[in-house]
Amino acid sequence: MLSYILKRLIQSIFTLIIIITIVFALMRLMPEEGYFGDGYEKLDHFQREAILESMGLRDPLHKQLLDFYKQLLKGDLGKSIIYRPKVDISIILKDKIPYSLQFGLGAMGLSLAVGLPLGILMALNNKGLWDKLGTAYIVIINAVPAAIYYLFLQVYVTGILKIPMLYSEYNPISWILPTVSMSLGGMASYAMWMRRYMVDEMNKDYVKLARAKGLNNNKIMVHHVLRNAFVPMAQYLPSAILFTIAGSIYIESLYSIPGMGGLLVTAIQRQDNTLVQALVLIYSSIGIIGLFLGDIFMAILDPRIKLS
Amino acid sequence: MNNNKKILSVEDLVIKFRLRGNILTAIRGVNLDIFEGESLAIVGESGSGKSVFTKSFMGLLDKNGWIDSGNIIYKNNNLAKFSTEDQWLKIRGKEIAMVFQDPMTALNPLKTIGKQVKESVELHQGLKGKDAKDQVIRILEDVGISHPEKRYNQYAHEFSGGMRQRVVIAIAIACRPNILICDEPTTALDVTIQAQILKLLKDLKRKYSLTTIYITHDLGVVANVADRIAVMYAGDIIEVGLSEEVFYNPQHPYTWALLSSLPQLGTKGEPLYSIKGTPPNLFNKIKGDAFAPRNPKALEIDFIEKPPYFEITPTHKVKTWLLDPRAPKVEPPKSIKNMGRGKL
Repeated sequence: MLSYILKRLIQSIFTLIIIITIVFALMRLMPEEGYFGDGYEKLDHFQREAILESMGLRDPLHKQLLDFYKQLLKGDLGKSIIYRPKVDISIILKDKIPYSLQFGLGAMGLSLAVGLPLGILMALNNKGLWDKLGTAYIVIINAVPAAIYYLFLQVYVTGILKIPMLYSEYNPISWILPTVSMSLGGMASYAMWMRRYMVDEMNKDYVKLARAKGLNNNKIMVHHVLRNAFVPMAQYLPSAILFTIAGSIYIESLYSIPGMGGLLVTAIQRQDNTLVQALVLIYSSIGIIGLFLGDIFMAILDPRIKLS
Repeated sequence: MNNNKKILSVEDLVIKFRLRGNILTAIRGVNLDIFEGESLAIVGESGSGKSVFTKSFMGLLDKNGWIDSGNIIYKNNNLAKFSTEDQWLKIRGKEIAMVFQDPMTALNPLKTIGKQVKESVELHQGLKGKDAKDQVIRILEDVGISHPEKRYNQYAHEFSGGMRQRVVIAIAIACRPNILICDEPTTALDVTIQAQILKLLKDLKRKYSLTTIYITHDLGVVANVADRIAVMYAGDIIEVGLSEEVFYNPQHPYTWALLSSLPQLGTKGEPLYSIKGTPPNLFNKIKGDAFAPRNPKALEIDFIEKPPYFEITPTHKVKTWLLDPRAPKVEPPKSIKNMGRGKL
């Protein structure tokens, strides 16, 4: 087990280094306007060169890369240039991440709490009424663009329940709708996968053997099927949890929540090179860490993994 | 067969399945008595219904199947009339246990094998905690698994095919059943392992005084273990008798064909016999003798009316019109007559 974790850890670090290098290389290909902010037009060629040189962008590439790594190791993501000029990117993120995290984790908890039991219920009730209702829900959520039911919920439910339409930090009631809206998609997909994996497991031979030895249905479900069905989902949970910090563009703009959602898009549109670089790095690291944790989580649940 | 005490008695059993809107009759009015302490083999081709037949003793038919009519009498209970899961839970494991065909998939991959055997022990022997664990280790030893203490905490993927089948057998034995159904217990195994598993099953049968029912299409297995043989074709038992009777004095043309297709050691140069055609479509109503269309020597009546059982000896019964006094004399194929005694 320990050697497996170590092996995966080394792999992850290696992947991370490759990604950082690729991001670094891509950023050097971006137009250089992004390093000057609004003042670009007013500067002449020599002034621009002087600024770029002071930022270290005229150093040889290998030195730049090395400096970049050193900075990262110190935890310094650089300063924003256009979005909030001369402000440390880590400070910008520190302001925004808590909002996204709060709603993201809330929504995820809610979608797990509703989605998993719904999936289990559907599997147990295979082809019955609950299964059909659940399937209808999943189809609707997947077929209708999220924007439509988000808007619908915001406009009508706030009207009916007489609660504020926009997010307010000091009014917890206004937190409910964004969380619920955000969880609807997750609920559908957790229910769908849980049902699918449960049905898969229920048809396996070992369940027939368990039945033949006289175990009752509840015991078979709890002691055999549930855990085995959960294993394939376990791999994706850590990623899903980590990615909640990225926020939701649509929900956050609908309810004007000052979170991370849309920050990357804004940064790209406004050509804030250092901010784009920092965000891409963060998201890709999260992806890698999430996969790593997912694999470990799965190895804990599934004894077969250590061998392969 | 040492005594004639019936342990399980099947009367006119009919089992049907609903498949894509059509109804299929898998078992067509089977009668069979199973005697205490005997070892019975049910042989037949794939799809003849032998597996379905025994699954119905435990209420393990797939959801689209049901017992349409008939009785399965076991200890004054009519299992054919059972309707609730609770009723079956009193039978499954405790009274009748089953060993499955494919040991590679029959064990839960995420549970230690010790725990899987322990489930049976706790459920049917009422033991708990350390007592249960000790009992599991004794049973693992019984089925020939070495280092049972160490093996207790291992998972199925750490076992070879033969060893997994031993675990599956341990799970069945741990239930302390009266009847053990072995559904193709060696089909998925290596030839060298097959003999070991059969010997193990024979030893366990003696040790735990079990009644065993083997389901197989391998006549080699049958010769090895069975006191009595029931030959199944298209959902009916067409010939049943003591092993010697069925092997040395077979009467039904299907049994002849089945035995002819068994490779014989020592006879070289002759092409191996194979039965022409395919078993009948069970979606259709079968008229007469189900084997008639594949039987080159079928009589006219074979296509019209289903033959009854003709009794040859009190233990040997055959469903074929050939045994009717009015039937013409049809000799069994030569290869059957030449079947060397003592080879089996």
